[in-house]
Amino acid sequence: MSKIIGSVEIGTSKSKALVGEVAENGNLSIVGMSSRPNEGMRKGEIVDFRKVACSVHAAIADAEKMSGTTVDSVYLAQSGSHLHGTMLHGSAYVSSSDNRVTGHDLERAAEEAQRREAESGRNYVHFVRTPILLDGQVRDDPVGMHGKKIDLGYWAIDGDEQAMRSAIHVISNYNIEVSDLIISSIASATMVAGPDLRRAGTLVIDLGAGVTDVVLYRQGYVAFSGVIPVGGDHITGDLSMGLRILERYAEKLKIEHGKAAPDPSDEKEEVWMVGDRTIGDRSVSRKAISDIIHVRIVELFEIIHKELGELLCQDELKGGILLTGGGSQLPGIESVATKVLGIPVRKAGFPPGISTELAQPENATVLGLLHYGLQDHGLPGQIKEEAQTGIFEKLASIVGIGN
Amino acid sequence: MSQDNFLDPESTFSPANENPSIRALVVGVGGAGLSLVDGLRLDNFQGVEHLAIDVDSRALADSIAGEKLMIGRRHTRGMGTGGEFTLARKIAEEEKDIIRKKLEGVDLIFLLAGLGGGMGGGAVSVIARLAREAGALVFAFAPLPFSWEKSRHSQAQECLSELRKFSNAVVPLPNDSLLQVGGPDATALECFAEAGRNVSKGISAICSLVFRRGMIDVDFADLRKAFNRRAGRTLFGYGEGEGEDAIRHALRELMLCPMLHLPDVSKAADALLILITGGAGMAMSALQQASLEIREEFKAGEHVVFGAHVDENLGERLQIIVLGATDLEAGAKADVAPSADQVMIDSTKNKQAHQSKLRKQVEKNQKSNARSRKRGKKIPVDQNTFSFMEENNQRGIFDDSSRNLYEGEDLDVPAYLRRGVKVAV
Repeated sequence: MSKIIGSVEIGTSKSKALVGEVAENGNLSIVGMSSRPNEGMRKGEIVDFRKVACSVHAAIADAEKMSGTTVDSVYLAQSGSHLHGTMLHGSAYVSSSDNRVTGHDLERAAEEAQRREAESGRNYVHFVRTPILLDGQVRDDPVGMHGKKIDLGYWAIDGDEQAMRSAIHVISNYNIEVSDLIISSIASATMVAGPDLRRAGTLVIDLGAGVTDVVLYRQGYVAFSGVIPVGGDHITGDLSMGLRILERYAEKLKIEHGKAAPDPSDEKEEVWMVGDRTIGDRSVSRKAISDIIHVRIVELFEIIHKELGELLCQDELKGGILLTGGGSQLPGIESVATKVLGIPVRKAGFPPGISTELAQPENATVLGLLHYGLQDHGLPGQIKEEAQTGIFEKLASIVGIGN
Repeated sequence: MSQDNFLDPESTFSPANENPSIRALVVGVGGAGLSLVDGLRLDNFQGVEHLAIDVDSRALADSIAGEKLMIGRRHTRGMGTGGEFTLARKIAEEEKDIIRKKLEGVDLIFLLAGLGGGMGGGAVSVIARLAREAGALVFAFAPLPFSWEKSRHSQAQECLSELRKFSNAVVPLPNDSLLQVGGPDATALECFAEAGRNVSKGISAICSLVFRRGMIDVDFADLRKAFNRRAGRTLFGYGEGEGEDAIRHALRELMLCPMLHLPDVSKAADALLILITGGAGMAMSALQQASLEIREEFKAGEHVVFGAHVDENLGERLQIIVLGATDLEAGAKADVAPSADQVMIDSTKNKQAHQSKLRKQVEKNQKSNARSRKRGKKIPVDQNTFSFMEENNQRGIFDDSSRNLYEGEDLDVPAYLRRGVKVAV
């Protein structure tokens, strides 16, 4: 029997909903997809609940209509500058006398790592496991191996309870459940960076409208994730202030004529703001547009550079840096990013098998949600009870919030 | 952009047309004020006098103003106040009788003062008050120091709100935005001169409106009625066009005018003064269209003063100048009721909605100002209720969201502004 699952991303410019069908053999096919403009968000945070709810509900309804079914629960993407990541460590000595590692040892180490409570008013969204060390050696699955001590770490992401709760409320108001909250950056990375890339080490930068999500993989595991509260809207805002034009014209100019760096051909070139050359229309120097965007883009990557610090080293990032999200469509952004970050940057592609309609950089997060949600993120050696039934239920206990 | 033509000596109207019964006075206060007065080039208005007020005897001696007034001899013995604006305020208070005498019988007063200085910051609000008491209409043009001049900058913000209490319109001219004024390779001197020219234009516009006869005339009483309230935020802009589509070009340039895009400038006006000057070929329909568009742009209510003057020397050229003020308190009279012709006007629904929004803003600002003073420049924990008045409006489309601090910088403020990158529009 196939199963219907859904995913929702409440983005700053658009709400997106997907309905997927999981066949018995585990294959996922997307059967419904919809995207609606969202005006109730600023910088990845909900400022107008009603507007957000309208947009999200319309998106879910459309996606359901398209798929011809209904969804009971969805994976929800979580972003916003309120999210913080910290590394938590736990360790345990192998308890059995024959020094054989059991699942129980891993559990104890995990428990110790996750013991740390979030600050008041905040809650953990995610515990993303980093590699397991058995006596200092990286082991993907140490169960059954010989050793004395288990070390494991979790990249723990905590967020503002209020912000997460309101996002969940938007969904539950539509009478469906949130089966799990997933960090946008990790969702996008799941989609655009395959296991090989993640093992080689890669940095995925998702340039959204409101915020920029970054996640860094090292040896296949998340080593860092972060949210920078600067996105495509900031470029629009800068253009609107700098060229003294309305926001909607700034947005239009950004999409039609925006470039990440000025080049000599921009000199003297003028583009029209409205395009119909009536009263009120005016021409704008293309150089001014690219100048304004350039300063902002450079600053954004400088912040990313600062945030990552020493993690940004060529040897650990053999997979290079991937750009995704709507903002990655800006022409020339890769070369600017390469210059600032000092490591080759390229636009992310999608794995084969995804229809061209869906394979847009701005859909990376919502697609990734489904894929990440379906994967198993438990500890090795555990009895995978949830694999059969419990995917939908696994959440609340982990997230600690929601229904 | 050729702007000198407005100041060309040959572009004068016949002085015989001037309205003799009205007196206007340009008052420069403090160092920056004096140099602005010296830089003024008003086209021989007979009713306009210049007065320089300072404590610094040497600065006064260098000034070319027609009349000079030195105060505070007892306190500084002819030297400057050294940036002490409380001292300057005290001096002005003490010698207010002398100042008042100079201001008597004047109908229209232009105050020019750099708010970052001692004299400009401290004395100007006292002088504005005296001017209001004397029954004059007060317009102030106030350069503000760079925001990196931390202490002077916060002092200037205080002085600005003080000055607003007593003036009919205050046009702030922040040094920060000098970079965006003038051409791409403009030198510092040229930028300052450009700012000075803008002040000249504003004053000339108002003067010619009041003193000269034009195609569409404005009575001084109308002007007074329109601006007869306390000044909130103000806007001031200038545009010029030439050729067949002169009016369109001028409108475009007006909308682009850097003065209209300064941080502290309102985007809407309750009281709006529009002056269009053009050659003899100016078409009535074009004028109407222009005034309509300007009104719409600034969401002006019923207090629009529209004047159109013909100047043969302009030929094909056409200039538009707008000066607007937004009332912060609906229907509130100024602290000092200037004269009997004050009329209380019922607010339209539209305006009330507009003002209530502004009032909220003011309350917010006041609250945040109090907080900011208490906390200094520290990054607050609670960002939602926190905003600096002077930074609030630099945030453009993010004005309504919480601040976005990263290492002391607000990331919502355009990067090119924070990095001091010049944008050639």
